[in-house]
Amino acid sequence: MAVPVSTPSDAVSGHTRDRALWGAIMLAPYVLVFAVMVVYPVAYGLWIGLNWNSYRALFADPIFLRTVFNTIVFLFIAVNLKFAIAMVLSGFFVAQRAWIRFVLVLFILPWAVPSIPTILSFRVMLNPETGMVNSQLFQWFGIVEGPGWLTDPTLAFACSIMVHIWKSLPFWTLILVTGRLAIAQDLYEAASVDGASKWQQFKFITWPSLATLYVTSTMLSMIWTLGDFNSVYLLTGGGPGDLNHVLATLGIRYMRNNNLDLGIASIIVAMPLILPMVYFMVKRLSKAAE
Amino acid sequence: MKSVRCLVTGAAFAAIAAGWSGAAVAQETITVWFTKGFYKGEDDALLAVVDKFQKATGVKVDLSLYSTEDCVTKSVGAVEAGTPPDVGFCTTYDFRTTGKWAFEGKLEDVSDVIEPLKTDIMPDALVGTLLMNDKTKKKAYYAFPVQQQMMHITYWKDMLEEAGFKESDIPKGWNGYWDFWCDKVQAGLRAKGKRIYAVGHPMGVAASDTFYSFLTFANAYGAQVVDENGKIILDQPANKAAMIEAVKSYANILQRGCTPPSSVNWLDPDNNVAFHNKTIAMTHNATISIASKHLDDMNNPALTQEQRDQAKKNYFDNIRTTQFPDKPDGKPLPNLAAVKTAVVFADGKNKKRGKEFMAFMMKDENLRPFVEGSLGRWLPTTKSGLASPFWTDGKDPHRALVYKQFSAGTIPFQFVYNYKFTAVNAENVWAKAVNRVVQDKVAPELAVDEMIARIKQIAG
Repeated sequence: MAVPVSTPSDAVSGHTRDRALWGAIMLAPYVLVFAVMVVYPVAYGLWIGLNWNSYRALFADPIFLRTVFNTIVFLFIAVNLKFAIAMVLSGFFVAQRAWIRFVLVLFILPWAVPSIPTILSFRVMLNPETGMVNSQLFQWFGIVEGPGWLTDPTLAFACSIMVHIWKSLPFWTLILVTGRLAIAQDLYEAASVDGASKWQQFKFITWPSLATLYVTSTMLSMIWTLGDFNSVYLLTGGGPGDLNHVLATLGIRYMRNNNLDLGIASIIVAMPLILPMVYFMVKRLSKAAE
Repeated sequence: MKSVRCLVTGAAFAAIAAGWSGAAVAQETITVWFTKGFYKGEDDALLAVVDKFQKATGVKVDLSLYSTEDCVTKSVGAVEAGTPPDVGFCTTYDFRTTGKWAFEGKLEDVSDVIEPLKTDIMPDALVGTLLMNDKTKKKAYYAFPVQQQMMHITYWKDMLEEAGFKESDIPKGWNGYWDFWCDKVQAGLRAKGKRIYAVGHPMGVAASDTFYSFLTFANAYGAQVVDENGKIILDQPANKAAMIEAVKSYANILQRGCTPPSSVNWLDPDNNVAFHNKTIAMTHNATISIASKHLDDMNNPALTQEQRDQAKKNYFDNIRTTQFPDKPDGKPLPNLAAVKTAVVFADGKNKKRGKEFMAFMMKDENLRPFVEGSLGRWLPTTKSGLASPFWTDGKDPHRALVYKQFSAGTIPFQFVYNYKFTAVNAENVWAKAVNRVVQDKVAPELAVDEMIARIKQIAG
């Protein structure tokens, strides 16, 4: 009768099995939390959003197409303008001087403070009658009817974009500052010795070094901007006359009107915009990691 | 080991005994959700009813009070989840949910409670509770008419005088009335170097004030939107023409610059705030909450004597409540009234007792203090309630006007005849049409065509 003998490979596979088991046990709480907090809500939302009638009603709503247009314009202007300004400012803040560091602390404040009071304070300041801006115009120049900052559709939309940029600019500027700080100073010194102008230094050293970070940050910013509810809702409520909604606020408008299905549908229609961005961002990050 | 066994056995007996006695003394309970009142008197009156009901029946009332918006949002969620309270009374149910719930069979038929009360309930208030149920294919009473609201005009008499006019100067006719405020009062105040607007004219799409005000203008021009069977008749030439005039008239106030530009974004409290700040000289508002704020202030011990005195002066001398001017055709304007409804939910756990609670609440001695606790903000739905000295003694200048206005008769909202108009109002197609004219500069005719098309999409 043969006696079973354990071999080294059995011991290894047993060890591996134990490690896998422990790994699974340790991972279980995270999987559970992920399933409950991410998979379930998303799946439930998609399930609610499966109602074809909701999409018919959504496309029949006259403000929907305008909202899609607004969202695209908002994304295009807000993200590009924000990053153009952030790129310029990062060049300023990267300078290592005490007073610039102090200014940087002040500059970060809009990003650091909570959205609701700050955006509402903009709303108060821009009120056409009682707001500080038009009141000063009245006091200083006798202008009775100042600009309709929040009542003229174009101005109100511009103000929403302005508030969005004001709020998120510090964060992206800091990201680009850290990117610039990672560039070896030797390169600039060498370029300077060779007589390169500031623009040439930017074009041949800064930009190639920051390009990956810039593009990845832009895509991430697009995803966040697409979901930015506060800047539009708190400032104008999507108004005047529902003319300035973006997809993030349109969903809330439907839900406020007890129309959950339409609210979900209006968010799901943003998926064709979000998913390619997420895909390209992940692909780009993978490439950068290689 | 033995002691452990004894302890476990003892604990088990204790648990069984506690459970048994708990079951033996378990009190019957009903769950009731109400909108929290603006004033202490409303809540005190409600608590008194609850207390009396509990003593009379031995049934415990689990009462929750919610803010106006939370009340309806929470109710909608609970109904969708199949876990509603037994009784609900939110002051925006009528605008948003009652008709829909009745149509979908989510409400208990309360005809057996309403029928005996019918002789005392005002007919116009009763109309708002006789609702269609799609499951039974019949109309029945699915709600209790608890209180009502109506549209009024409120103005600062002292601002009118500052502009150089007396109350007797205010015209009675429709066009002359708005011209007076826009051209004369505002011009008078501006001549004194003040940046003041004559009219507070709600135009925000998210405000119920806007559709209430706009539909009052539509009534003034005789624009019929639906018939009594709920069929849309706005596209009939006469109604369409009247609606075009209503849109023109409503938009005109903004176009000539006599309402604050920010009124295009106003929410419900904003005209109240602008009035209290004296940014505007007059406004139209559903309920007399603007004046009542000063009545509440003058009795508020938390304020200084000086503030209370000023509030009293405002309430009795400086602020006036009036009715709308006569219609453009010279006839009196019918008053659009909204009936605030309480309901018993079909999925409630103890709906039988819930119905009993509402029957108890609807008794004159219980309902009247509750309605009157709102300082005149809400109107009674019963003839006996309206006959009380609170409304008839004429001592209160604001309530006296409301009584006069109310006694002239009211008309209901369209959603009473076609519940889908709650969605039309929620989307505020009316404000959108006005905004199309003032913001996008389209012709009123086109704005009304779009309005009709959208109404047919939603409610046709």
